[in-house]
Amino acid sequence: MTSSLPISVASVALFSALACGGAPGRGASANEVTVYVSTDRVFAEPVLREYERRSGTKVNAVYDTEETKSTGLANRLLAEKERPLADVFWSNEPVRTLILKSRGVLAPYQSPSAEGIPQTFRDPEGYWTGFSARMRVIVYNTNLVTPDQVPASIFDLVDPEWKGQVAIADPRFGSTSFHVAALYAELGEQKADEFFRRLKANDVKIVEGNSVVRDLVARGELKAGLTDTDDVNVALENGLPVAMVIPDREGIGVAVMPNMVSLIARAPHAERGRALVDYLLSTAVEQMLAQSEAVQIPLHTGVAPPKNLPALAAVKPMLLDYGKAAARVEDVTRRLQPILGL
Amino acid sequence: MFPDRSRTAFIATALAAFGALSVLPAVYMLAQSLLGPPGSSLDAYTAVVFDARQRQLLFNTLQLGAGASLVASVIGIPLGFALARVPLRAVRMLRVLLLAPLAVPPYILALAWVYLTGAYSLAAAVFVLGTGFFPLVMLATEAAARAISVDLEEAGLLVAAPLRVLRAITLPLMWPLVAASILLVFVLSISEFGVPGLLRVRVFTTEVFTAFAALFDFSRATALALPLVVLAAAVATAAARLAHAGRLTYRSGRGNGLQWRGRRWKIVVAVAASATIIVTLAVPVGVLAREAAVATRAGESAAGAGQAIVNSVLSSAAAAALATLIGLGVGYWRTRLVTRGTVVIDALMVTLFAVPSTVVGIGLIALWNRAPLTAVYGTMWMVVVSGVARFAPVAAMLLAGAIRQVPVTTEEVAVVGGAGWLRLLVRVVIPQIWPALAASGLIVFILGFGEIGSTILVAPPGESTLPIRVYTLIANAPASQVARLALVQVAAVLLPLVAAAAVRVPWRAA
Repeated sequence: MTSSLPISVASVALFSALACGGAPGRGASANEVTVYVSTDRVFAEPVLREYERRSGTKVNAVYDTEETKSTGLANRLLAEKERPLADVFWSNEPVRTLILKSRGVLAPYQSPSAEGIPQTFRDPEGYWTGFSARMRVIVYNTNLVTPDQVPASIFDLVDPEWKGQVAIADPRFGSTSFHVAALYAELGEQKADEFFRRLKANDVKIVEGNSVVRDLVARGELKAGLTDTDDVNVALENGLPVAMVIPDREGIGVAVMPNMVSLIARAPHAERGRALVDYLLSTAVEQMLAQSEAVQIPLHTGVAPPKNLPALAAVKPMLLDYGKAAARVEDVTRRLQPILGL
Repeated sequence: MFPDRSRTAFIATALAAFGALSVLPAVYMLAQSLLGPPGSSLDAYTAVVFDARQRQLLFNTLQLGAGASLVASVIGIPLGFALARVPLRAVRMLRVLLLAPLAVPPYILALAWVYLTGAYSLAAAVFVLGTGFFPLVMLATEAAARAISVDLEEAGLLVAAPLRVLRAITLPLMWPLVAASILLVFVLSISEFGVPGLLRVRVFTTEVFTAFAALFDFSRATALALPLVVLAAAVATAAARLAHAGRLTYRSGRGNGLQWRGRRWKIVVAVAASATIIVTLAVPVGVLAREAAVATRAGESAAGAGQAIVNSVLSSAAAAALATLIGLGVGYWRTRLVTRGTVVIDALMVTLFAVPSTVVGIGLIALWNRAPLTAVYGTMWMVVVSGVARFAPVAAMLLAGAIRQVPVTTEEVAVVGGAGWLRLLVRVVIPQIWPALAASGLIVFILGFGEIGSTILVAPPGESTLPIRVYTLIANAPASQVARLALVQVAAVLLPLVAAAAVRVPWRAA
């Protein structure tokens, strides 16, 4: 007869270890705050660790994964709406925040730290405040593109000389989804549809993320692509043969995507949540993010811009109503699927 | 067979746990989708029939599942049989190396092959999933081959050649468990998102994901999951009918049975196993190692991963133990106590497993994030719940197949001898299905370890599992960093496997 069941014994032992491990439960914290973060973990974690050091408040963070690999924190916030675990939502682009606002997940809070941030980047009702922005830029390979060939506008990318040589991230997700929604808001449906049809006809490569766009261009597999400033900066810091163009200085302007921070409705620790929001909107955090590899552009006046990038005042931003642009995302996603063959 | 309170209590508890953890989230989401905004769910359902694009997606999905199952079977069945019936040296280590591809998340395998070949296609996705999931078929085949009786084989060998015995006796006895594993591969393949997403293959899971991530529409996403579920149910029904058709009863023996002991066979198996290990493990890991070698932020890969590793190992082990226990009860009920509708029950278990992980995750939030369950929600126990919810159907399927191979007469003899049901279960049934129990636990552990779709939705703030840590660091990390993190994850699963291999598992059933 065989001996007893080692798996059962082992599982009992493991159960005990798990139970005794003291995993935190809801409301068990003495001095904790919970934040859901869709900004890249490598950039956000140092900021939150610094807050822990300064305030003595433990930060329980939930980070997001790369855009095309999970449903994202926004879905979790929607599902937890009636009994949220989160106190604060820190988003790296406007779309998710505006959708959550429309679904009643957020609570208004006008932070004193927002003083000095232009009104364009603040919700009039106080449901969100923008800080530390990125821009949607054209990245190109400096070995394959001569100075006279550098595109000045995103609309140049539909020209025959760029056929099969341009990549964009999947426009259904992340910052690219915001970018396309902004274009539809700016250009109108007819012109925007036409632009994307011409991109498709020009054999644009649609890949899973902005970092992939950058990598394809850096490796010389493609000449150019649309991506975010922080993605390009990673390549620049690594000495790869790329450069970026802040497009449409003479035209519609460049799409500026601020981080957004919001208080969660019915947050279990609203007071501590407000304190965290105040911190995230401070000039100190904008300075940290500007000086990190995130190279996020400060929105407060007087904070030095990151290396390799101009200050916000030196570029022509797209004039956007972020609420209206975000409201178009779902409709635009449906429109683009047949146009781009997604 | 006999009324026994202990049997009733055990099985009722298992069924209740199965229902609450695995069935309810999917049913809840389905109900929500049907009761959602007027027209939304109907649009999604009718689109499957009338929309040519949706039909193409369904066809792609079918090809992906069938292709991956075929590749996994072609590799896994011969190897599993060889591990059981060709006496080899270092078979435990060989088994670990052959199982190792299962420890690598499919997405990571796909990444490695993209680095190597640059191929983005349906064929590439079939290859990646088939070579990644073949250990499931191999494990089940070996367990089935070791567990069956040798008496019948030896009787057959008296009058027939080995190949005829193999065809007429051995393979039919193995079929239920092997078929269950092939079906498992099919369902895993059609419900997989990461690989087709990366390799730019348009399948139904990508549509489900879009509805969640791009459109934030839970009802639509659930409705879009229905074709996947229907497809899995159809295949499961067909497989179940095939499995029921040739069932034989048998009893255990003590002889050698059908074995291939010649040196020639050992060389053939060694070469085949080596080639498999090279293609399915060495090449992708080697590519990742090559990419990782140029990492510039090496310290960040491992920093902070220690607690995440511990969380993953503990929660996966707990989920594996619970799921196996529940699967034992549900499997026994299905095999011994259900006389009608068995094909439907088998299909239902498969359909549960086919429900996309994100749908399960949202369902778990809706059900558990409410009093009095808030004591559990927001703790690491939700990661265990998520693992059980996703993979208890797998355990139930595998163990039902294994219990089907246990002769009822052995239980009857124990009853006549005065044994109560629990004693019968522990002293008669379990020893005979021990390989399948171990295989089930191992499979659930590995699948649970790599699971991220529902885990990321329910993991408590401030705590992390290793896959969550890996995937949250992938964003904007260079390819070399991604590769290094992937290797950390592979090692974290392989080490328990190696440890398990070092513990002598009584593969031969009593």
